[in-house]
Amino acid sequence: MKQKPFLATITAGSILLLLLPQVSTVAGVSEYMIRFLAIIFLWIGKTGCWNIVAGYTGYIDFGAVAYFGIGSYVTALLMTKADLPFLLSMLMSGLVSGLIALPIGLPTLRLKGVYFGIATLAFAEAMKQIVLEFDQTARLQFFEGPHGITLPIGPGNEFFYYAGFVIMMVILGINSWIERSKFGYGLKAIRESELTAELSGVDTLRLKMKAYAISAFFLGVIGSLEAYWLTYITPHMVFDVLITIQMVVMALLGGMGTVLGPAVGAAFLTLLYELLYKDFPYTYGIIVGVIVVVAVLLMPRGIVGTLKQKSKCKMNRQTHT
Amino acid sequence: MLLFLQSLLNGLLLGGIYAAYSAGFSLIFGVMGVVNLFHGEMVMLGAFITYFGFTLFGIDPFLTLPFSIVFLFIFGYMVQRLIINRVVESPPMISYILTFGIHLIVAYSALWAWTADFRTVTTSYSGVNANVYGVIIPYARLATFGIALCVVMGLYLFLYRSEMGRAIRATAQDKEIARLKGVNIHHIYAVTFGIGAAITGMAGSLISTYFIIFPQMGLPYTILAFCIVVLGGMGYVPGALWGGLILGVIQSVTATYLNAGLSGALTFILLFVMLIVRPAGIAGKGIIE
Repeated sequence: MKQKPFLATITAGSILLLLLPQVSTVAGVSEYMIRFLAIIFLWIGKTGCWNIVAGYTGYIDFGAVAYFGIGSYVTALLMTKADLPFLLSMLMSGLVSGLIALPIGLPTLRLKGVYFGIATLAFAEAMKQIVLEFDQTARLQFFEGPHGITLPIGPGNEFFYYAGFVIMMVILGINSWIERSKFGYGLKAIRESELTAELSGVDTLRLKMKAYAISAFFLGVIGSLEAYWLTYITPHMVFDVLITIQMVVMALLGGMGTVLGPAVGAAFLTLLYELLYKDFPYTYGIIVGVIVVVAVLLMPRGIVGTLKQKSKCKMNRQTHT
Repeated sequence: MLLFLQSLLNGLLLGGIYAAYSAGFSLIFGVMGVVNLFHGEMVMLGAFITYFGFTLFGIDPFLTLPFSIVFLFIFGYMVQRLIINRVVESPPMISYILTFGIHLIVAYSALWAWTADFRTVTTSYSGVNANVYGVIIPYARLATFGIALCVVMGLYLFLYRSEMGRAIRATAQDKEIARLKGVNIHHIYAVTFGIGAAITGMAGSLISTYFIIFPQMGLPYTILAFCIVVLGGMGYVPGALWGGLILGVIQSVTATYLNAGLSGALTFILLFVMLIVRPAGIAGKGIIE
C-alpha cells in the first residue's frame, strides 16, 4: 500500500524527464541543462553497475573502470577501423566487456576482502598500461597508444540524454530486480556470510560471476556511449582510476546495497562538482574529502541506508503502540 | 654484461626506496587491518618538508630527516587517534573510504597551498656518482638504500625486542586478548600509525633528492606500495624489503631490455598473478583472511 504513491512519483518523474528536451525551448531549459542531466544519468548508471557487485555481494571492486575503458576502446576501434554503426558497436562493447569479465572474475572472485580489491585494481592498471604500450612494443598501429583515437562526430546532446536515460533506467531496474529476486537473496547471503551461504546450498562462485559479468556488460555499454559522446579517447582518460573511486564514493555516500542509494549519491556529487569545480577546483577536492569523512563517521550506511533504518524504527514503534 | 650489472644495481637501489616507503603500509595493515589510501600523501608531506627545509633554510636534505619523522609521527598519531580509531571495529570497506576521504583532503589542501608546480631538491652532490669498474653508483641513491635497510631492520628489532613492540604484536594477533591483558589498544593503534607515518615521511624526504615532487604525486606511490606489500606478504614487515627489491629489479631490467612503459604493465600483471597463485607473498608469511 505504501508502494503506490512511490511508484506514481517515479513514473511522473520519468515522464517529466523524457519530455524535458522536447519542451526545452518553451520551459527555458538550456542545452547546458540537458547535457548536465545526461552526465548525471551516466554517473547513476556507472554507480549502479558498481553497486551490483560491491553493494550486494560485498566484494569491493577497485578496478571497475577497466570494463568502462574496454567498452570505450571496443567502440572506438570498431567505428574507426571497421566502420560499424554506433548501436552495433555499443552492443559489441558490452559483450566484449562481459566476456573479458569471465576469465578475470573466475580467479579473482575466489579472493577475499582486500585481496579482491587489489587484484581488480591491478587488472585495471595493467589494462591501461597494455593499451598504452601495445603499439610501441608490437610495432603496430592499433590502439594508437597515448595519442588516443578520434571517433566520428556523433549526434547532439539530446541523443545522449535519451540514451543515458534508458541505460540508467535499465540499471536501476536490474538493481531493484536484484533487491527482490532469488538471485539477489543469494548475493546478499554472500555479503552477510559467504560460508553460511555456501552451506545453505548457494552456488556462491556462480552467483558472484553472474553479478560481475552483468556489471561489466553495462559498464562496457556506458563506456561505449561516453566515448561516442566525447569523440576523443586516450587510455589515461578512460582507464582513469579516479572514475572507479568516484563510483565508490558515490555509492557509499548514497548507501551501498540499496536501489536508490547510488542514484542519490551520484546525483548529489555530480551536482556538487558542477557547482564548485568551475570556480573553486581545489576547494572542491577538500570539500568532497570532508563530506566523505563525515559521512563515514556519522552515517556509515549512506543517505538512503540511514533513512531506511529510521523509517523502519518508526514503523516498529507504530506497530508496538 | 656491464649493462646487465648496471641495470641490476639500478633495480636494487630503486628497490631500496620502494621498501623504505612500503614498510609503513605493511605495518599499518598488519596491525590494524587498515588499507591506508593516503599513504602516498605521507610520502608527499615528507618530501615537501625536505623541500622547504632546503630552499627556505638551506638545511641539507639528509639533515631534514628528523623533522619529517617527528612531524609525520604526530600527524599519523593524531589522524589515527581522532579519526580512524572510531571505525577500527567496522568492516574494512569503511576504512578504505575513510582513508580515501583523508587522501582528498590532504592532497587538495597541498595543491591549494603549494600549487601544482613541479619542484626538485638539487644539492651539490645530486648527480655525483661513484664509478666502480664501469658500473655507475649514484651516492644519493646508495645512501637511501642503506637507510632503507636500516629502517626495515630497526622496525623488525623494535617489533620483536621491545616492550612496545610486543604490545603491538599482541594487538595485531588478537586485540580482545591484548585488551584483557591491559594493553590500551587505541593508544597502540595510534602509536603504530605514527611509526608507519614517520617511516613513510622519512622515505619521502629521501625521495625528494632525486625524484620530482608535487602535491598530486601521492596516488601512484600508494598504488605501488600496494603492489610491493602484496609481493612481500601483506602485514609481514620484512616482506616489504623482498617485495621492493624484486619489483625494483624487474622494473629496471625490463626498462633496460624491453621498454620503460612495459615495466608498468609487467608490474601489475605480476601483482595479479601473484595474488591468485600465492596471496601470502613471496616469503609466504603474509596475512590471509
